[in-house]
Amino acid sequence: MSNNLIKISFSLNGNKVETEVSPQLTVLEMLRRNFRLTAAKEGCGKGECGACSVMLNDQPINSCLKLAATLKPGDRLVSVEGFNEDPLMKNIQEAYVEEGAVQCGFCIPGMTMASYHLLKHNAKPDEHAIKQALSGNICRCTGYRKIEAAVKKAAERTKANE
Amino acid sequence: MNNLQFIRPASVQAACEALKNPGFMPVAGGSDLVVKIRNGLYPNLEGIVDIGDLAPLNLIRTDENRVIIGSGCTMNQIINDRLMQDYFPALVKAAATVGALQIRNSATIGGNVANASPAGDTIPALYSLEARVLITNGSSTRKVPIDEFFLSPGKTLIQAGEIIEGFTLLLRKTRGEFLKLGERRAHAISKINMAVSTWNDGRNHWRIAMGSVAPTVLRCREAEEFLESCAQIDEAAINKAAEMAINTAKPISDLRSTSAYRKRMAGVLLKRSVTAIIK
Repeated sequence: MSNNLIKISFSLNGNKVETEVSPQLTVLEMLRRNFRLTAAKEGCGKGECGACSVMLNDQPINSCLKLAATLKPGDRLVSVEGFNEDPLMKNIQEAYVEEGAVQCGFCIPGMTMASYHLLKHNAKPDEHAIKQALSGNICRCTGYRKIEAAVKKAAERTKANE
Repeated sequence: MNNLQFIRPASVQAACEALKNPGFMPVAGGSDLVVKIRNGLYPNLEGIVDIGDLAPLNLIRTDENRVIIGSGCTMNQIINDRLMQDYFPALVKAAATVGALQIRNSATIGGNVANASPAGDTIPALYSLEARVLITNGSSTRKVPIDEFFLSPGKTLIQAGEIIEGFTLLLRKTRGEFLKLGERRAHAISKINMAVSTWNDGRNHWRIAMGSVAPTVLRCREAEEFLESCAQIDEAAINKAAEMAINTAKPISDLRSTSAYRKRMAGVLLKRSVTAIIK
């Protein structure tokens, strides 16, 4: 219990924040415990399932593998909650619902993060690009077809709205 | 572990100073270390030294006829670097097979090498490019050929108080391939992997290195010399080189694959990579 606490500051979902973390606390644990942001989930705890995906400086990372103490003042961390008002994320989430891509739901925050990153950089992804973009995310309900269909739908709709 | 310390050094020198304590481990991306800590592999861990934000380690730069890849460069940094793509395709392809996108945004080349897994994917690529490892203690740097850097799985020449500063490669255009076999395309730990690089400086040079077929990465010197001696690399020559790779491989059977399969696949990967390069 005598763990050293480290003061860190960074930007979380667009706001400057400060908190204290123990040396081995991961970014995922920090989000869930210190900030009560529970969208990102721990599936495997070793970077294979992607359920903990968050954006760090606009790039998706496994938050279960990054030590919170390594966050720097210039770092911009965004969890799914940070995209609540984002039109692209809203569009993705709606497409997931419409395509029935959500079964147990545990992988979905990570899946939508990976989808968001894909569609930000590739407005018209083909099937291969979609599979590639989601290859770091595991769904154990085996619902990949519908998830891929949802990403495709979101891409088409985003383009139509432009 | 209850009183674990966390140190954010302001310089490479300060990081090395802190790492003189053998109970301290450096962390950059964290993708190996965090899992190992969680799995209890470091029962005597006293502290973590964050080397992930030391600017000189996070750059790819050229210096006359050499390229220096900082140890803190992430896989994606290497994959997206124009110079890397043009000059060192084997390394770019190897980095692109590590983990999945999320891991490649965190995992660093220095970490992949320092972790010294026999299956580490960037390691055979660095062998094929005759990389040298820059090891620093904060005040002086020693340069070691990559094939002398690994002692055994998980063991390297790195001493307490030292870190990998980066890797130097000769600035020469190479053609290259990296192939690996795993259970699936993403997140696979290689059953076997192979990097092949070739360049011409008046005559043809071939470098072939395999991982997961011995305690440390192996060069297929016999196959390299044979390919260099061929005026024309045809199917018969490739088949002969593949036999040589099979004979060089000294794999074990473990949870990922069997010795017999790995040996056969050494030949298959050699055929595929050389064929892809000369096409």
